[in-house]
Amino acid sequence: MESLGVLLLHPMNAYLEQELDRRFRLIRLWDSPPDARADFLRSNAAAIRAVVGNAGYNADSALIDALPALEIVASFSVGIDRVDLAKCRERGIRVTNTPDVLTDDVADLAVGLAIAALRKIPQADRYVRAGLWKAKGDYTLTTRFSGKRVAILGLGRIGLAVAKRAEAFDCSISYHSRSQKPFPNYRFFTNVVDLAANCDVLIVACSLNAETHHIVSREVIHALGPEGVLINIGRGAHVDEPELVSALFEKRLGAAGLDVFEHEPFPPEQLIGLDNVVLVPHVGSDTEETCKAMADLVLQNLEAHALNKPLLTPFSGKRVGIIGLGRIGLAIATRVEAFDCPVNYYQRTKKEYPNYTYYPSVVELAANSDVLVVACPLNEQTRHIVNREVIDALGPKGVLINIGRGPHVDEPELVSALVEGRLGGAGLDVFEDEPNVPEALFTLDNVVLVPHVGSGTHETRQAMADLVLGNLEAHVLKKPLLTPVV
Amino acid sequence: MASAIAAATAPPTGAQHSVLLLRRANDYLAATLRARYRVLSFYDSGAPLPAFLAASAATEPEPPRAALVVGGGAIRVDAAFLDAAPYLRCVVTTAAGLDHVDLAECARRGVLVAGAGEVFSTDVADHAVGLLIDVLRNVSAADRYVRRGLWPVQGDYPLGSKLGGKRVGIIGLGSIGSSIAKRLKALGCVIQYHSRRPKDTVSFKYFHDVISLATESDALIVACALNDQTRHIVNKEVLGALGKDGVVVNIARGGNIDEAELISALREGKIAGAGLDVFEKEPVVPAEFFSMDNVVLTGHEAVFTTESGSDLCDLMIGNLEAFFDGRPLLTPVLPK
Repeated sequence: MESLGVLLLHPMNAYLEQELDRRFRLIRLWDSPPDARADFLRSNAAAIRAVVGNAGYNADSALIDALPALEIVASFSVGIDRVDLAKCRERGIRVTNTPDVLTDDVADLAVGLAIAALRKIPQADRYVRAGLWKAKGDYTLTTRFSGKRVAILGLGRIGLAVAKRAEAFDCSISYHSRSQKPFPNYRFFTNVVDLAANCDVLIVACSLNAETHHIVSREVIHALGPEGVLINIGRGAHVDEPELVSALFEKRLGAAGLDVFEHEPFPPEQLIGLDNVVLVPHVGSDTEETCKAMADLVLQNLEAHALNKPLLTPFSGKRVGIIGLGRIGLAIATRVEAFDCPVNYYQRTKKEYPNYTYYPSVVELAANSDVLVVACPLNEQTRHIVNREVIDALGPKGVLINIGRGPHVDEPELVSALVEGRLGGAGLDVFEDEPNVPEALFTLDNVVLVPHVGSGTHETRQAMADLVLGNLEAHVLKKPLLTPVV
Repeated sequence: MASAIAAATAPPTGAQHSVLLLRRANDYLAATLRARYRVLSFYDSGAPLPAFLAASAATEPEPPRAALVVGGGAIRVDAAFLDAAPYLRCVVTTAAGLDHVDLAECARRGVLVAGAGEVFSTDVADHAVGLLIDVLRNVSAADRYVRRGLWPVQGDYPLGSKLGGKRVGIIGLGSIGSSIAKRLKALGCVIQYHSRRPKDTVSFKYFHDVISLATESDALIVACALNDQTRHIVNKEVLGALGKDGVVVNIARGGNIDEAELISALREGKIAGAGLDVFEKEPVVPAEFFSMDNVVLTGHEAVFTTESGSDLCDLMIGNLEAFFDGRPLLTPVLPK
């Protein structure tokens, strides 16, 4: 195997760097002085087929343009706001990130920062170290964390992990997200200002993109108020930093716990002297255990790419959720993997599929997928398994593919969702009352309708017929059936 | 933030009951007490304790039958104290711990004792979790690092240690220990414990002694009362068993840990770090800790939130009312 040329953009992890060097052909971007960078890239361009970046340094437009042989960007981070995704898509460059392995650490830090900010632990530690406990007496009273109203911006993997932790502290949970999620105990707000106005602690846990830039605006900070606390474990650019700084300085915002800043590694000078803020240097996923797991993901994705095997944590493709991972479901999974689609699934029992993400309910599967595919058998439990709740969770950008049975889906609900735009689109091979297809679907241009042709190829029908005949013959001849179900 | 009880019942007309107040703070609690009782405050009297107690016997129309005390070593409700105040029939303590009350002496004299119940459990548990996350994830140390301007100069802060999957050994699974367990479980920790007797209501793994607990734990959290059996319950042996990657969090009493051994264990890298809210000789904190980056120090403040101040007030008044009305105490320590 010709060694994959990998460009590492910045020192980020000793183990990762050492392994990249051992397993691939490693080129370190910082080996060239900054003013000679363009020449350095030019002379190495032919060899560089992969780039490894992180939260701070990643494959932006200029870098991608400088690397004509680039095939894959494997980011040592879950957030890839600094990767020019549009350009990657244009050039057919695959992108991987490191989801899931860092979820717990980042969520733990969010909780740790919230307690630290409310209970002023680093401040108390400073007080004690300065000898003030002895000289001046007890440190100031603070306010309880448990039971506070916690609001989360973004209820993805990390946001949900934060919610579950906060619940153990008897906190009530509210959130804002692009679409409502299937958690009836969590109060959903369509408007971020309202969310902030109705909480005590606001935690930023969404991904950074054009819509979420400065999502914590002056208005939101104002709504959070002089008793409110902001915790940022997302990206610095989620928050209007100058507004945040003056709000904290003037005590129009109660307190903050910040892991990220707009211009790392330079947090705003004015924050350094403040007593109502906790500052940590982007350590969200910085534990030995998690950094090794992230590094392993990067390495395994690169190896998979080099060996033409499915990527483990592709970011590029649509997220495909499969209901039922039996023979057909698995066959779908291996096909979509080749398109770099992350695969999620639901079925009665969780199995060990290291590359596929299990969800304990169809609603949660739908909430976390762009394309939902029905591939389970039809029985009493699975009738209408795709119901209104599931369709709502799939949402106005989601697509439903049914190659199971018509009765798997609540058809009237599906039709009205498609007509009203509550569901993005559908590809349907089966219907509740074949050969009758709801007429309302005929005028829609966001559906594809085929008349139960899933197995309708000459080859397959021939093979099916041979099986039927073979089973009948076996029965007559008192031999074991070929494909017994019962 | 008005106390629920203060709002519901007005002070009685006519003679008020007298109450001894043996607590320094002139705060919300003291003010609420004064609204309903005749308060004889030791710290305001300026007299030495025996004189104050003797003089209180002469209070009209009746001497104070109840006393409000706080812990912290200042005043011990022991035989000498009770001899000097024979009129006292009820001691209400505002502290989370009971090491300042000689329970045997109170029991012998039939003196009722009301504790702080679970009023502090939430805040102490939150603080314990905050300290553990801080120690494992270097929150305070990293905050110092940023404030000193080291991030651009020295780069990324050294890696911390993941909470998820860590085996946390809790010493003492009372109200505080259980609240800690509930929170840490949600953070993915494996909970195990030592206490005088195993609790059949929990599924956590029980250890008969602290050394075996420490041997199989990644973190130890001290959440037990301080008494003769638990003094220095975390000693040199236990710290050795915890090991070089282990951390200790103490939100109980300084006396629960052999402080000198803890310092040398940290110095010699025999354990990885500590989060301490209590010390053997408060408010003196050994200066050896100040140069350690892997230690988080707070000044016995795990209970100091405005909410528990308010909850405590409600509870103390509730206990006093119950006592004066002849009803069972809300949070009795004695009778058991």
